Parts: sequence; C-alpha cells; structure tokens
Amino acid sequence: MSLLGAGTRRDMEIRRYPVLVYALVPLGALVLQAWLPRVVGRYAWFDLPLVITVYFALGRRNPLQGTLMGAVMGLFEDALSSHPIGINGIAKTTVGFLAGSVGVRIDVDNHTIRVLLNFALSLVSSAIYIFVTRFLLGLAVDWNGLTELLRATGNAVIALVLFPLLDRLQVRD
Amino acid sequence: MESFFTRYRNLVVLLVLLMAQLVGLAVQVRRTSSGTSTLDSADPSGVRLIRLWASAVISPPERLIHASKMGMNFTWSNYVDLVHVRQQNEDLKKTVDRMRLEEAALLEDAREGQRLQAMLGFQQKYIYSTVAAQVYGSSGSDRSHDFYIDKGWRDGLKPDMAVITAEGIVGKVRDVFPHTAQVLAVNDTTSGAGVILESTRIRGILRGDASGRLEIVGILSDQRIQPGEHVQTAGGDMIFPRGLPVGVVEKVVRDPERDAFIDIILKPAAPLDRLDEVLVITSTEPRFPPQDQQDLAASKAEEGAVPAAIKDQVKASEIMAEKLPGLIDPNLPPDKQPLNDNSNPNLAPHPPLPLHPDEFSPSTNDDSGATPATDSTPKATPQTTPRRDP
Repeated sequence: MSLLGAGTRRDMEIRRYPVLVYALVPLGALVLQAWLPRVVGRYAWFDLPLVITVYFALGRRNPLQGTLMGAVMGLFEDALSSHPIGINGIAKTTVGFLAGSVGVRIDVDNHTIRVLLNFALSLVSSAIYIFVTRFLLGLAVDWNGLTELLRATGNAVIALVLFPLLDRLQVRD
Repeated sequence: MESFFTRYRNLVVLLVLLMAQLVGLAVQVRRTSSGTSTLDSADPSGVRLIRLWASAVISPPERLIHASKMGMNFTWSNYVDLVHVRQQNEDLKKTVDRMRLEEAALLEDAREGQRLQAMLGFQQKYIYSTVAAQVYGSSGSDRSHDFYIDKGWRDGLKPDMAVITAEGIVGKVRDVFPHTAQVLAVNDTTSGAGVILESTRIRGILRGDASGRLEIVGILSDQRIQPGEHVQTAGGDMIFPRGLPVGVVEKVVRDPERDAFIDIILKPAAPLDRLDEVLVITSTEPRFPPQDQQDLAASKAEEGAVPAAIKDQVKASEIMAEKLPGLIDPNLPPDKQPLNDNSNPNLAPHPPLPLHPDEFSPSTNDDSGATPATDSTPKATPQTTPRRDP
C-alpha cells in the first residue's frame, strides 16, 4: 500500500462528479439493494450502499463527506427494514469516516488498494453492526464468520467491476 | 475554541452523528421486566416518518424495475412459452370439477362444525375478504426478514393484517403507507404467531430465529413430536385465522436455555424467500364469504347431477324389467304379486311321506308341521320309489 505525505496529498486530484451522479448513484444502490435479494435469494452476499459509500469517501478524500454519505445510506437501509433505525447508520457512518480518512493518505487510483479497502471496511461494518445489535441493544443477532467473509468478498468483487465504471463519470478538467 | 472545532471538525461531526443515532436507538428499544431487550410493535412517530420518507424515495423506482421485470415475464409466458398449455387447461378443468365435488362435501362438514360451535358458544372466524398484492421489494438485508407489497391503506390495508399465500401463512402487515405496505415475515426474529401441531394437538409460539429459520418455542419435551408432522395456525393470536398451513416439522432440538423444553424447527409451507403474489386478509367473519357460497351452490348442482344420472340408470333397468318376464309386477299390490301365487301349476311337488318311519323321518317335534310318520296311513299319493317285497 503506497503511503503519501501531506505535501503530496495536497497535489493529488480530488475527484469531482456531476451533481446528478451524487444523487442517482446512491439512490440506484439503495433501490438495487432492496430489489436484488428477491432475485438472488439467500445468495445476496453484497452491500451496495456500503460499496458506494466507500467509493465516494475514497474519491472525494474528505472524511466529512464520507461520514455524511455513510450516515444517509445507513439510515435509509435501516428505514427499509423492520429493525431499529440507526444500527446500519452507525456502522456506515463509521465506515464512511474511515474511508475518507484513509483516502487522504493512500493512492486511491490503484484498483487493488481500493478493492482491498472495500474488503476490509466490509468486515469493519459487519463487526460494528453485530457489536451495536448484540452488546449495545441486547438484541438477538445471528452471525457467521463465513457469511461475513463471503459478503466482504462479494463487495470487493462488485467494487472491482463498479469502480472503473464510476470513474468514467467523474468531471475532468 | 473556534480553532478546536475547525481542527477537529471531522471528528466532531462523526461523534455528533453517532451520538444522535445512539439516542435514536435508545428510544426505539426497551428493556422488558425479564431483562431482555425488545422492540415496540409500533414505531415512535419520528421513526415512522423516517420509514415513510425512505419508502417514498425507494419504492417508485423499485416498483418500476419490478413492473419491467413482470412485463417481460408476462410477455414471455403469455405469448411465447405456450407449449402444452391446452393439455394443462383440460387437466385443470377436470381437477376443478373433481375439487368442486370434494368442496361440497367439506363445506357440509364445515357447516355442521359451525352449527356445533354455535351451540357451544364458540365462533370460528373464516376468511371473508382478501386483497391480492404483489411483492416488489425487500428490506435489502439478510438480517431483516420483511418485504414490501404494492397495496397500502388506500386499498384497505391496516397494520397487523395477516398475509398468506395458497400454500400457507407468510407474515403480517407492519407499516402501511398510502400505496405500499411493509410485511413482517413469520421467520423474522420479531415476529410471532400461535400454532398447533396437527396430530399431537400441541400448541406453541411460532417465530423466526436469527438465521431466518422458522421455529416453535416454549414446548415441553415430548416424544410424540416427529419430523413430518404438519403445523397449522391455532387462531388465538388475533391475526391469523385458525387452520392455515404453517409448515412441516423438520427436526426437534433441545432448547439451549431451558432443559425441559424443546424447539421445533419447521420447513415453511409458503416459499418465504421467493414470494411473488400474496393475499392480505382484510376481514374475517363467522360465515362463509360470497364466493364460497357461490362455489357451494355450483358444487351442489354438480353433486345433484350424479344422483340424477344414477336415477336415469334405474329407470333404464325398469324399462328392461318391463320388457322381460319376471315375478314382480309393479302394477299389483305386494300380496297379489306372482311370486306369492300358490296356484302356480309349475310349483315343485312335496316329497311323499314314508310308509315306515325311521330315524330320518320328520317327528312331531319337527317345526315343519308335517304329519308324523307313525300316524300316517298310506294314501293314494303317487309313489316315486317302488316297494320291494322281502
């Protein structure tokens, strides 16, 4: 993983996108996340809102924007379920902050790094979800290490395909 | 102070957002007297508003995608994939005819049950009206087992209405929006329904475990419960009417928390992970719905056709009888029937009385009423056996 200094960081390009992309891509991710599990059934080992949160947080290199995007995506996910609103919100808020914080220190143009980050942050998100549900709220939650690994792998694979496509949408000077 | 917030702006925003969400969670989850955490069945108004907004934003594009998929499926299945449809149609017509006859018999039994229940002061509720709805989306998480349907309060839906399919129960309506509704599936951890095992008549509470399996909890260990037994709704939960299929016992496991109790794992009757269309029970009444009554009338008419056909056969046999000679004349009273006419010259003669009675001859004790051989004198009756002199 190539680490960069603060001086180099200032020189790096901050990715910019049309406003519609900021609105439609997260919306599309939420809609597909709600619709696709009906098609693939129990094999829905992916979390599209998380992938999109990580993408924009890394690309913008801004922890604040990553935090806000993670909070919105997580709260929407919670609102669509019958579970308490805030569990996914906390998990994705934290992930957005971490991705934005890491984005200012690494070379985010490297696909391998982004995919690996996606894998790691998926595991972090799952861990926070389980921690909040079981230990803070005292609710029953079933978790399986293999399922979480599969979900993280699914997110990494989607990132591998989706990130280059989303890169094409950015505004270039 | 200003420089502190400027310097740690990102961290402050993160902490504020996390704290706000933690407070929100604390409002939604409450502690029970037994020390366990649980969710309120009804959301606080603020939470409900957030769910309404999320549904309003996500549902339209989701329904559009679903409608496109359904349109393609419709085109394919109704205009392209029509092999064997005619034969299937014929088979189904025969099945419907047969089932109508069966239904007539079953409805008669049900009516008798209704009368008995009325005598006992107990009223069974029947599904009176339903609303068909299409499932167009899910919660998007495998940790939350609920889904969305394309009917809302404008279609008469209300919270806690039962949702079923032809195969069995599915769940209950949780949140109702103007044109959509969220359904909590029976295999969610926050779900619950009263059920009864079909043959052993053991009652229990159905719920979902954390991995989305159906299980019946709170049952004392019982050797009679075996895999394969069918489970139905018990009707005591005020949501599901009695007697709806729930599933089949898959296995029985020990309750990890209580020694004397067992958990029964079920295989659901309805395909909970691939639902397309469901029925929402909008009302239950202690009488049959109009459609059932129409079906009953049709079944009765069809049932009446069978004895009519049998009657026709009887008439045909009577016609044949008229044409053939017989011992029964339908125009004569019973005592004048040819069968009872003793003047018939073709009657077989009685056997002659023996001249010398022996042990085989009828005695006075004989019930036949024949004259004893000892008292008899030779008469001018024709002898069939030649007498031989010593």
